[in-house]
Amino acid sequence: MDETNKMSETAKKEEQTSTQKIGIYLWIWLLLFVLSFFSYMVDWYQFQGMLRWSLILFFMFLKAGLIMAFFMHLFWERYALVNVLLWPMTAIACFIFLMTAEFKYTVFSRLFYFVVGGA
Amino acid sequence: MSDEYDNNKSYQAQSSEVMDGSAGSINPDIDYVRPAEVGEQDLYHGHSFIEKWIFCQDAKVIGVQYFLTAVFTGIVGLILSWLMRLQLGFPGLAGFMTAEHYYQFVTMHGMIMVVYFLTALFLGGFGNYLIPLMVGARDMVFPYVNMLSFWMFFVAVAVLMASFFVPGGPTGAGWTLYPPQTILEGTPGSGMGILLMLISLSLFVIGFTMGGLNYMITILQARTRGMTLMRMPLTVWGIFTATVLAMLAFPALLVSAIMMTLDKVLQTSFFMPTILKAGEVLEYGGGSPILFQHLFWFFGHPEVYIVALPAFGIVSDLISVHARKNIFGYRMMVWAIVGIGGLSFFVWAHHMYVSGMNPWFGFFFATTTLIIAVPTAMKVYNWILTLWRGNIRINTVMLWCLGFIVTFVNGGITGIFLGNVSVDVPLSDTYFVIAHFHMVMGIAPLMVIMGAVYHWFPLVAGKMLHEGLGKWHFWITFLGAYSIYFPMHYLGFIGVPRRYFEMYDSPYMTSAVGMNEFISIAAFIVGAAQFILVFNIIKTLKTGKKAEKNPWKANSLEWYTSTVPPEHGNFGERLPVVHRWPYDFSVPGAKDDFIPQTTAPSEVIHTEVEKT
Amino acid sequence: MSEQKIDGFELKPGFKGMASDTGSDQTMFKGVHWGKAMMWIFLLSDTFVFSCFLISYMKGRGSTLVDWPNTSEVFSLHVGSVPVPLLLIAIMTFVLITSSGTMALAVKYGYEKNRKMCGWLILATAVGGLTFVGMQVFEWSKLIHEGVRPWGNPFGASQFGSFFFMITGFHGFHVSIGVIFLFIYTYKVFAGHYESKKRGWFTKMKGDYVEIEILGLYWHFVDLVWVFIFAFFYLW
Repeated sequence: MDETNKMSETAKKEEQTSTQKIGIYLWIWLLLFVLSFFSYMVDWYQFQGMLRWSLILFFMFLKAGLIMAFFMHLFWERYALVNVLLWPMTAIACFIFLMTAEFKYTVFSRLFYFVVGGA
Repeated sequence: MSDEYDNNKSYQAQSSEVMDGSAGSINPDIDYVRPAEVGEQDLYHGHSFIEKWIFCQDAKVIGVQYFLTAVFTGIVGLILSWLMRLQLGFPGLAGFMTAEHYYQFVTMHGMIMVVYFLTALFLGGFGNYLIPLMVGARDMVFPYVNMLSFWMFFVAVAVLMASFFVPGGPTGAGWTLYPPQTILEGTPGSGMGILLMLISLSLFVIGFTMGGLNYMITILQARTRGMTLMRMPLTVWGIFTATVLAMLAFPALLVSAIMMTLDKVLQTSFFMPTILKAGEVLEYGGGSPILFQHLFWFFGHPEVYIVALPAFGIVSDLISVHARKNIFGYRMMVWAIVGIGGLSFFVWAHHMYVSGMNPWFGFFFATTTLIIAVPTAMKVYNWILTLWRGNIRINTVMLWCLGFIVTFVNGGITGIFLGNVSVDVPLSDTYFVIAHFHMVMGIAPLMVIMGAVYHWFPLVAGKMLHEGLGKWHFWITFLGAYSIYFPMHYLGFIGVPRRYFEMYDSPYMTSAVGMNEFISIAAFIVGAAQFILVFNIIKTLKTGKKAEKNPWKANSLEWYTSTVPPEHGNFGERLPVVHRWPYDFSVPGAKDDFIPQTTAPSEVIHTEVEKT
Repeated sequence: MSEQKIDGFELKPGFKGMASDTGSDQTMFKGVHWGKAMMWIFLLSDTFVFSCFLISYMKGRGSTLVDWPNTSEVFSLHVGSVPVPLLLIAIMTFVLITSSGTMALAVKYGYEKNRKMCGWLILATAVGGLTFVGMQVFEWSKLIHEGVRPWGNPFGASQFGSFFFMITGFHGFHVSIGVIFLFIYTYKVFAGHYESKKRGWFTKMKGDYVEIEILGLYWHFVDLVWVFIFAFFYLW
């Protein structure tokens, strides 16, 4: 067998990847509990309107970001992987944006034709 | 590595620049390629007949299995199209043909051809066979999952075919399966038929996901030493990008299939609005039919490119090999493939201009749709510029490639018509649309498949297909396909609607009757001509002459295996090391008119090879 | 993860690193195990599945003319006689995050080849997942008891029940699959398959502790999806 085709020795040694300190995981864990508690409080205190929605989204993205960055190790991954994972989300963003426009139009046409009775 | 090619520098200087890669230090050895990052792949060799040929983990066998299963469904689709043309050309000639049957045939023809034939053939068939060979891997990275992928596909096909035999027959809702009519009584096959179709689609998506993960990770993580992404054959690029699209688009199909299954089985109202039937209000209410259309086309438009991009990639390689010239603008071709793939997620609603969606969407989607024409046109120019002043060999493979370019340009130009809202509105649901998409994603990819079969058959079977039969096959198919689809543009312009069982005494029928008969006769002949290939293959396997190794004098790795046909593990003792792109044809100063990818720079030191 | 070395290749940081990784031969994701890369791509695809579900939910909820039920009341639980809004959901979230934390630690101990600790933590994760599924069964049966059906409910728009059962059902399905695999890997770790390099039952391939990280990625993804479902379905 070709010597150079074998895995290089340094790569083998490095196979035992250095792991993060346990403190980081515990901190993130704690933060997730705290953030979940906060988002639960949004409902508890019955915030309404823009305040409610922006708080829900804020806590949601913060929690999602923490899970992805630290529990799923994306924070330590190389950018090649991170970018491959995040760019496709633009398609989802476009889909969401257009569907918000679409449901508003559906409601409009339903009200216009079924409630108002058309032109 | 940079894009610039500095003519003033001597080649020696360039090659050392290439070889030092990103390591930082300049290595004096110009043939240096850095060592392997990953150890040798652990392969499981089958021991029994079942493990070697049925539940086989070798990507090449799986590729052939995919190919044969897809061709089987394709023949079913072909027979359905014959039956449809029989009805349209000569109404009433086939006594058993009712309107219900006709709709069922339309539906099954569309679904089979797009999903179970073309997608499975390109990605499952060619993808499995060619990816590991072309990137220099021993096999797909997860052979077991790959085997499961094929058998999942096989079950999906079996379920689909079973729907022909259930009470009520297969679904007749049109291949787009639009609710609410798809699952309402009165539509043919609204009972078991549609249910089996939805189950089959879900199984297909699951099976494809398993395969797709294999294709992607093999290309990204299991290339051989020296094989950079920009040294991969365009075939691999096409299949890779199509796989990415499939991985991201099939979820929308899966979701819509699940939701429609629930609408059917549990009477939920995801897609079902309030419906009055014979004065009675059905139990449905409040759902949104247009949501299904959005989900379906969020899958459906990328699906078009899932079929087209592998064809683009494969045809680029075939043209380059058989014109003995490097592909013009390789990087441009790669970026065009990637760009088309990316854009395809932002154009879906151009299929829905007349659906009653938010009217503002027309502007957005017409713009994005027309932008796609730019990278697509670049690809066409590059194919033509590759041919320009090439050493063209007019063999069967090249004929199919030329046929592809012509057909694709034709179908593409009508696509520009249909991308504009104001032109699309009068043309939608006419035969113009039928002509457009059959040209661009039916006939054109099919021509590439045929070319690819003639090109790679010597690799798979070790024997050369008969050239004379191949040319007959090509000319009948090419001229016949034009006889079918060219008149359809005219039919569309005079307003003949698609998906109609019979036209009765509509005013435009005076001029359409004769044309319909002509189209039908052409369709029978073209369909029959495909069996020339079947005959050719059987004849070649029995009595054909043995192919020499690398009969086309190509450069890419699949022709440099230890044995032909390649065995499990592909490359024998040691994996090939790649030093260049696969397009070094007719290089000035070189001994032969081709330089294999494995040729070290020191062996071609006095030639003007491209810096890749 | 981080700080690896690759022979003859300089790992640059940031976007420069992305460019040189992408332009290099052999691998694009440097040092990433095949299985781990596969899991990431699978999760990307699965993200699209759940996104399509949630987008459909948005479109469906947005375009119905019937009032959407007040989730805060529908999902409330009586403690004594006081209704506490979203109590069960809050506990479910708590359980899932707990199991996510134990999983993260299991991955860490797996890489440190601490077999016992890793095994116990995976077992804890599996038990957490099982608890979650159990509570979901309780939630479903409570709602069904109150008359919520996929095709209609007494509180408002009929799509409420449809989307609820479909989305939480699909998520619960993911959790259940995860729990099954967690138990399998608990066995594999305790039995020392990674130390003895025992070959897998089906794939006939040798395993490694990286499989625990792959399993962990899946499990965290399930948690991640729950974050979105919790925000959009229960709180919105």
